[in-house]
Amino acid sequence: MPRIKLGKPQVSPDLPAHTPGINQGNAKGNYAKMAGHNPDGTSTALRSTGINPKAHDPIDPSMPNLSPG
Amino acid sequence: MAVRESVRPEAGRLVDMAWDPITRIVGNLGIYTKIDFDNREVVSCKSTSSLFRGYSVFMKGKDPRDAHFITSRICGICGDNHAVCSCYAQQMAYGVKPPPLGEWIVNLGEAAEYIFDHIIFQDNLVFVDFCEQMVRETNPSLLERAEKTEARHADLHGYRTIADIMRSYNPFTGETYKEALLMSRIGREMICLMEGRHVHPSTIYPGGVGTVATPTLFTDYLSRLLRCLDFIKKAVAMNDDVFDFFYEALPGYEEVGRRRILLGCWGAFNNPEHCTYEYRTMDDWGNEMFVTPGVVVDGELLTTNLVDINLGIRILLGSSYYEDWVNEETFVAQDPLGNPVDKRHPWNQTTIPKPQKRDLEGGNYSWVMSPRWYDKRTEQHLALDTGGGALARLWVTALANKVKTPYVQATGQSVLINLPKTPNTAEQTLEWKVPQWSNAIERDRARIYFVAYSAAMALHFLDQGLAEVRAGRTKVFEDFDVPDEAIGCGFHEAVRGVLSHHLVIRDGKIANYHPYPPTPWNGSPTDSFGTPGPYEDAVMGQPIFEENDQDSFRGIDIMRAVRSFDPCLPCGVHMYLGKGKTLRTVHSPMFGEHGQG
Repeated sequence: MPRIKLGKPQVSPDLPAHTPGINQGNAKGNYAKMAGHNPDGTSTALRSTGINPKAHDPIDPSMPNLSPG
Repeated sequence: MAVRESVRPEAGRLVDMAWDPITRIVGNLGIYTKIDFDNREVVSCKSTSSLFRGYSVFMKGKDPRDAHFITSRICGICGDNHAVCSCYAQQMAYGVKPPPLGEWIVNLGEAAEYIFDHIIFQDNLVFVDFCEQMVRETNPSLLERAEKTEARHADLHGYRTIADIMRSYNPFTGETYKEALLMSRIGREMICLMEGRHVHPSTIYPGGVGTVATPTLFTDYLSRLLRCLDFIKKAVAMNDDVFDFFYEALPGYEEVGRRRILLGCWGAFNNPEHCTYEYRTMDDWGNEMFVTPGVVVDGELLTTNLVDINLGIRILLGSSYYEDWVNEETFVAQDPLGNPVDKRHPWNQTTIPKPQKRDLEGGNYSWVMSPRWYDKRTEQHLALDTGGGALARLWVTALANKVKTPYVQATGQSVLINLPKTPNTAEQTLEWKVPQWSNAIERDRARIYFVAYSAAMALHFLDQGLAEVRAGRTKVFEDFDVPDEAIGCGFHEAVRGVLSHHLVIRDGKIANYHPYPPTPWNGSPTDSFGTPGPYEDAVMGQPIFEENDQDSFRGIDIMRAVRSFDPCLPCGVHMYLGKGKTLRTVHSPMFGEHGQG
């Protein structure tokens, strides 16, 4: 570590962003838990709204399902 | 390889000339020269930096998932390059590959960054050195000739003479200057569409992106890109006219900023069809990048293998304010392929700052270290430069002859760039040919050609991204777990050249992290072997064409040489507050101020 004179810190050293035991949003398996995101990489209107989502899916099944996000 | 020589005894009227700081973008780069005014030549040059920042010091112990957010702050102009490069390194460490659509979105964001950043640097900063006002002050006879010289591509850009083009470059008043400001704004809007924010992206993460890919996203991007293309087609023609004029009007101008051809490019735009982020197959997927990685020495392409490139990196000291780390911990003794990793490699570097007085006469004089690339053939530590980024990218891509897309094709000696018809201009095919020299003019010329390259590539990425969306494949991120122990490296191109991030994770935290952006390569001081850094090497021995005498000397040729590398030192050293500087904590109320008016 650097051997230079340092002043008195004005703040306490920051902790790592992650505390062990707390779930991580990036953790494996979380994609499968998200509504409207299909295992094959496609998605449905359920990812955008929980209110009558099927009414927002495309009328023709051959059309790509492109919800507004 | 040029080695620093002491000032020749036969030198004529030697004068110390220093530019510190060199302005435009960078505020802490100093160039110290000795100029022989009798022989109109720069005899000695030293490049210094007076800023220490310590990213590699304070990254230790942090959560690795924060790395891209923190390292993005290294730079206030190409922060997204750092964020992306950090994500590449993290993806290798976590063993995660983003879905194709996520990768295309990152590529689109980075293409927009090259367009925006190169345009603002070229037209609003570099061309101040080539504008009518500056040429009038430094080379009045050259301006007279420019007034009489017809521009070859007047039909494309509408300026009849070279002097007319130069007038359009005049800061704040010139048409091109003002139009470039608008283009750089549009470029930044394009980045914001894909990466959420500029300069520090908010939707780029390891494992993918948070951008919601809809057809509107891509059409919003495309409509802006087409506006930029009109400008780019004109700009390439104007650049060619001005740079060719300098060669013709000032014979020998190719010597300005010229150095041995020692170029490095770490590759850009990963191809999701091939890229796995696995170290073991890095050679394979590295060669599929849409800007080929490689090292060019004396015009010969030595390698395009990212593993070779990685293992060849050496961080030398010699004139820098640091203690050596030979007795410190070795973090990575072998890479995942079993190859030994050198003690001077970024994976094993420990940064130990040692502030001291600047000593330009044989002592230490810079906070920048000296990154070099070890050439196994000759056992030399090469002081590679990036040619301001664009020159090395085009040179390596041209020679490697691997990039074949509908809009950009490498040929082995050149790069063909096809630009479609746009609202105000016809279809155009540009050809960037490998130049004879690595000098100031060719670095500047390559920059505008790379803007065209990026714009053409962006069209390809749009096609690919929209194909994914039309197929309904909207997934843009992949989940992952952070391992307790892992290593990773990311190779990318910051706008001004090579960018690498090296990461070591232990106990789920960062044990070692070293970002190596382009400016430490270009602006490095003389290393422990006596090899000068590229700025020093390029300026040393260059002729002076400025007509002013010693009293009113502006150093325009030296400035053109240094600025051709696109100097950006804030990312060169990783804040040191000198004696007497007091830090105060000030409370700034957010509410209440408006109510008092």
